[in-house]
Amino acid sequence: MAKKFDIKALKKTDWKKVAKDFWYGKPHGERRIGDLYIEKTGLYKHREWRGVKDTMYYFYAVWLYNYAMMVADIMKFGGIVPFAKGVWRYRWVGQTYLPVIHWYDRGLQGLRGEALRASPWHYRGMTSTTIKQFMRFFTSDTRLNGGKQNEHYKTNIAHKETVWGGIFYPWAGELTNLPLEMIPYFVTCHVNSHTVQNYIDAVQSIGLPGDPCPMCQAEAGLFVLDDVPDYAPAFITCNEACDASVASTVLQDWLFDKPLYALPMPMQFDDPLVHKHVMKEIEGAWKFIEEQYGIPFSYEKLVEKLKKQNELMEFEWEKWEVAAKTSYYPINGVAQALYRIYYSQYGDWEVWHECDAKVRKVLEKCVSKKINTFPNTRHRVIAWSCAPLYFSDWPTWAYNCWGLNVVINMDSLMFDMKIRTDSYENTLADMATYHMWAPMRRMAVGGMQHIFELWEYMEKFNCDMVAMYDQLQCKGMQGVHGLFEDEFRKRNVNAFWMPHALPDSRTVTRAELRRMINDYMTTVMHEEPLDPSLLDFDDSMIW
Amino acid sequence: MKKCKCGKILGKLLGITLLANVVLFIVFFFDLDGKLLYYVVEPFLKKHYDNMERKDVLKESGYDVFKYEKAPYDM
Amino acid sequence: MKDLKHLIFFEDLLQEANNKLVRQAKDDGKLALGYTCYFMPEVLLDLPGCFSVRLRAPRCTSPDIATYYLSARVCHYARSLMERALEGGYNFLDAQLATETCTATCRFQEHLQQKGLDSVEDMRIIDNDKFFCSFIDVPFKNNENGYEHYKTQLRAHVLDELSAHFGVDTSDAALLKAVEQHNEVCRLINEIGDYRKLDNPTITGYEFSVIVLVSMCCPKELILPYLRETAEEMKTRKPDAKKSYRCKVVVAGSENDDPDFIKLIESCGALVVCDRYCYGAVEARQPIVIEEGQDVLDAIARHYLKTSNCPRFMPQDEMRTRKQRLAELCRDYKADGIIVTSNKFCEYWSYERVIDTVIMRRDYGIPVCSIEKEYINSASGQLRTRFQAFVESIEIKQIQEGS
Repeated sequence: MAKKFDIKALKKTDWKKVAKDFWYGKPHGERRIGDLYIEKTGLYKHREWRGVKDTMYYFYAVWLYNYAMMVADIMKFGGIVPFAKGVWRYRWVGQTYLPVIHWYDRGLQGLRGEALRASPWHYRGMTSTTIKQFMRFFTSDTRLNGGKQNEHYKTNIAHKETVWGGIFYPWAGELTNLPLEMIPYFVTCHVNSHTVQNYIDAVQSIGLPGDPCPMCQAEAGLFVLDDVPDYAPAFITCNEACDASVASTVLQDWLFDKPLYALPMPMQFDDPLVHKHVMKEIEGAWKFIEEQYGIPFSYEKLVEKLKKQNELMEFEWEKWEVAAKTSYYPINGVAQALYRIYYSQYGDWEVWHECDAKVRKVLEKCVSKKINTFPNTRHRVIAWSCAPLYFSDWPTWAYNCWGLNVVINMDSLMFDMKIRTDSYENTLADMATYHMWAPMRRMAVGGMQHIFELWEYMEKFNCDMVAMYDQLQCKGMQGVHGLFEDEFRKRNVNAFWMPHALPDSRTVTRAELRRMINDYMTTVMHEEPLDPSLLDFDDSMIW
Repeated sequence: MKKCKCGKILGKLLGITLLANVVLFIVFFFDLDGKLLYYVVEPFLKKHYDNMERKDVLKESGYDVFKYEKAPYDM
Repeated sequence: MKDLKHLIFFEDLLQEANNKLVRQAKDDGKLALGYTCYFMPEVLLDLPGCFSVRLRAPRCTSPDIATYYLSARVCHYARSLMERALEGGYNFLDAQLATETCTATCRFQEHLQQKGLDSVEDMRIIDNDKFFCSFIDVPFKNNENGYEHYKTQLRAHVLDELSAHFGVDTSDAALLKAVEQHNEVCRLINEIGDYRKLDNPTITGYEFSVIVLVSMCCPKELILPYLRETAEEMKTRKPDAKKSYRCKVVVAGSENDDPDFIKLIESCGALVVCDRYCYGAVEARQPIVIEEGQDVLDAIARHYLKTSNCPRFMPQDEMRTRKQRLAELCRDYKADGIIVTSNKFCEYWSYERVIDTVIMRRDYGIPVCSIEKEYINSASGQLRTRFQAFVESIEIKQIQEGS
């Protein structure tokens, strides 16, 4: 039934407030962001009105700008024809990267002011790097190029996504290193969580049990579903992060069937005796590349790139300093986490520097003008262990709903080092350390002294709460579950567990994760939500 | 006269720009891009991928156990 | 077949880790050194004055407290060891020589270790003031760099630690003595095991697995006389007049220290003639060869990396040729098929099992039964059905090939 026009209610309307809300946007407690969703889909009835200035900023400088830049990047890295061919051939690109702006929406929801000016640059950096990589896949792929091994193919080197891109710096400009799974698997999970399920199901359909790490399952499933481009003559693999990575390599080797060099990293990486061993293995990888491609190793190029990478690390430290000691840090939890792990794993690339320059300006403004970027922060949260990839934007939801500000996370802290470039020996030694601190290795699957560095970082970043990720299929983390429970109790730390299956949103859904946090905040912390519309909503079919 | 013609062109350009902005803003604000992708593009592509002919890797991918020898630097 | 004289005694020894011979050796003042993985060379733990005990947790069916610490999603083997440790079942240990060769057992052993960190309180599970736990890093490649690394690790984290803590003699002479003892055990086990290669074997897989296990879980010095006697006895042992099995199989896969599992397979008509799994004899009971002038520790390090068929190895040629080696075992032992097993939650063998299942059948024409199992297989009904069906399928294949 149509609502009757109520003249009395209209008369009672506080027009001054309406105008203020229109101009500045509603204050945090009145936003009701959850009401914007179309049930199940996660689509918006309409996108959020953030006040005139911020809405226009989001429209022009985020939405329109990034759509335009996506087209520009596609044209820059190969053009529309290889892109169209790739979309038609590979599920992971077609099903995933088209709705990329919705990934922005989910992560940047509710942001205002300087936080809205800084965080999207991190998304821009990741999007551009992703496009660069998948376009390189398509321009090299023999399947899309009539079976030909073209120049791109011959100058690409494939590697497992957990092999740090820095290993290939000595061939910068001559060879292109393309991680095998970073785009077809890892990035897809964040953008469209449905895609990866096809790969997990595929590998289980050939008899793999459901319990090994789902990340490795998906990485292997890409091959089972015959959805991997044939884009390079050789492959470098490694054992990062865990037993399943080693085990799934056997399947990948079979189905990729290319000359392979294994670059395994020692598990006991704190032992000073392991260094020499790793250094030799890295040198072995370099010899392998020289032999496969006939291009000599260049220490000068390596140093040049490492210096650039060190610049990224220096700025990261500056950001951490602001995040740890002030309330002026303008980057939200999800942008911080994803950008940091992406660039520190992928390695140096010009877009990172461009984005950092933009972010630096905003950061400096926030610090000099003492702008409280997340003014409704009730708790400063440190997120520990491996995050749910399908719900990597949960910090955005948690801030909007509960005022939980995820200041820092474990993934960001793993590669916490610069690499010396003063001598070959020192460079190699530091590269070995960097590689051993690879994703999930240093802490999650690493020694106990590292996994329990939580308390140290909690203090450093001035956090009063822990979001404890509980990757149900990570044997390394499951194996310290009880000790964490003991320590949380003993130290009287506010901590909530977030069980999940990394990329697989079916095991623990987003709604279930939200419910667990809601329950913790109401029953343990006895707090009221800032935005009750976000407590419970149906987004079961969301990307 | 010339001034008038330039003004008209400028006016037209401004009008087109304004209209384009309004249209784009409507697309943005009402999430029409998301709706198009969600309800039309993705289902179409999914259907295509689901029906694609794929290699049965377990049957067709050979496994030559002696194909790759230990490299000299890996000894 | 006539019962083996010491079989019941051997079975008794497997009922608990701190068995009669372990207690006897402890009473004699020997040091008990625990380990879990093949990559911790047992020969180094059998130096004069010490004896190795490969940890098992027989009859552990409900590891409740261990499940609190390690969660329910870690392999039952690691949890059972943890539970047994928490129950005090390993308090006889003087040291645990640990490897991080799989995450689950690593986490178990880390719980035993006294780390002295401010960030996490030590649990002091092993109630023994002298107890220590030392980890080695095991390479993923059996190349020169790997051998060197492994040797360095063994020296620093096994030999030097034993010497520092207990004054154990780790000289070359002592190592040689341990190698000689190890080689005698291997010779006897292989002598006994070779009867499985006969057309009509004179030993069952179950009996053999019991014998192999006691050789890993008891002080070598004390078990050797029984092994010698058993080897002697085997020389005159006659097979049953009528074959008691319907086919022969190789069992390959992850950790298995449960002879009842082998018994279960054999009760379905498949005689287990080869045991290529963790705690099996294929790898663990190969003699160590020391070349003229070769450093003893170097020979030991090379031996363990060369003989292992662990799916943890990553060199490309190694990943592939271990499939060939499995097929060769099948041929050498005249097996009709392979049962590939993986323990639930074992990541290495989950994949290896899937690949073996496809490759062995497709490229080598060997029938494969692929199963996932628990550490203690209390729910044996489903497994029994699988094995029976597998045996029948082999028989059908044989009939078809015969016709």
